[in-house]
Amino acid sequence: MAEKHKPAPMVDEVSDFEVLEMAVRELAIEKGLFSAEDHRRWTEYVHTLGPLPAARLVAKAWLDPEYKKLAVADGVKASLEVGVDWINDMPTGFGTPSDYCNLRVLEDTPKLKHVVVCTLCSCYPRPILGQSPEWYRTPNYRRRLVRWPRQVLAEFGLQLPEDVEVRVEDSNQKSRFIVLPVRPEGTEGWSEDQLAEIVTRDCLIGVAVPKPGVTANAKRPVHPAVHPVHHDH
Amino acid sequence: MSTSDMKDPHAGTTAHELDTSPISLLEKVRTQGRVWGDLCEQYGVTNPDPPWKVSLDGTCDALSAEACALPLLERRAEEDDLSETIYADVPFPERQLLALAHSMIRRGLIDEDELARRMEAVDRRLNSA
Amino acid sequence: MSKSQHDRTHHAKKATGIGDPQCFKGEAGPAKFKVGDRVRIKDLPDLFYTRSQVYTRGALATVAAVVYESPAAEDEAWDNTDKPEWFYSVVFRQKDLWPDYPDLYANDTVETELSERWLEPA
Repeated sequence: MAEKHKPAPMVDEVSDFEVLEMAVRELAIEKGLFSAEDHRRWTEYVHTLGPLPAARLVAKAWLDPEYKKLAVADGVKASLEVGVDWINDMPTGFGTPSDYCNLRVLEDTPKLKHVVVCTLCSCYPRPILGQSPEWYRTPNYRRRLVRWPRQVLAEFGLQLPEDVEVRVEDSNQKSRFIVLPVRPEGTEGWSEDQLAEIVTRDCLIGVAVPKPGVTANAKRPVHPAVHPVHHDH
Repeated sequence: MSTSDMKDPHAGTTAHELDTSPISLLEKVRTQGRVWGDLCEQYGVTNPDPPWKVSLDGTCDALSAEACALPLLERRAEEDDLSETIYADVPFPERQLLALAHSMIRRGLIDEDELARRMEAVDRRLNSA
Repeated sequence: MSKSQHDRTHHAKKATGIGDPQCFKGEAGPAKFKVGDRVRIKDLPDLFYTRSQVYTRGALATVAAVVYESPAAEDEAWDNTDKPEWFYSVVFRQKDLWPDYPDLYANDTVETELSERWLEPA
């Protein structure tokens, strides 16, 4: 007997937020703050972005020592091999004004663990990693990571030995960063695809380390900062 | 608290003083609007982001890129301030959207009344389809 | 045309196909510092805009890399792109940033990028 497929569930109402977004955008275009064409190009570009290229960059680096050297020396060139062109992918032809064109790949060692933050505004390597997660953008993460990194990492479930150098990378200028974690045990003989699968977005930011069998980011509740701090004026 | 805590790790942004007093149109959206999480629950949808999120990001990018009407660092600093005060109880990305509208109104880029009128027109348009 | 519009067209012509900060290569002259140099972060007055975090001011650091040439963020915000400077990736010991950082984690560090105007020899 033929089975009728249920249509995928859909939200069948228009929220005030949806209306607000559209109204703001239309007014902005009418007032010449940007053109409809520019807006379309930006949204189309952002649609294409995700964390898979960065995961593949790491997997390739684990498998090929020469590629690893390239990745650490020239992140922009290494990105081309995973299909990301920091300069030309964005129709401007010179990268995006918030991402720029200088990827730096931070190589972890057994004695050095990198973790990335942008204390000023939440800059993120979107062209190779996609949009940032909400927790990365919060003042809670941005203020606390540089000051109390071990406590923040512990909240992410990551604890490191005392003698390991935890290096917080504060992404404040034109460089953008991904972490190249240490390849974990138990992955001998794995293919590039298998390796890429365990390099999650959280591993690439540096708040998690890759583990065989773990292919998703942990779900995180977002807590408000205990001591709200105001900007220096 | 030790003196070291007076060095705010987050400081180093602009001198622009944002008015974080509520804007009545946006208060209406904040209190009456249905957030994506609630809509998902009601309709059984699992997409993590509402359909307008990418468009919102496009708007934020375009604003800091083209005529540079609203530079990135300033918009983000204001978003942070608003996220800790009047929009603290709003989930993301609704919070980002309210903060953007708030910044634009306070900077005179758009006007509250015309935004209200445009919202009515958009609402009619979307609900008549 | 306003200065801002003029500079954006100029920037597009200069940077298209080349990238930013790549388009400023060769414009900053010799780099004042090299890898391994000990530097101190100057506490310059921020008139309105800075990408030089307050928590770094006055602290000691080591140059880890000489990264690229670009107009300083403080100039670029006002479209003054005539005088690019060298940017450096510098590493601070956490203990040098926060005196009460636990001795248990003596190796911990913070790394960030600063343009040449912010650095002086230590």
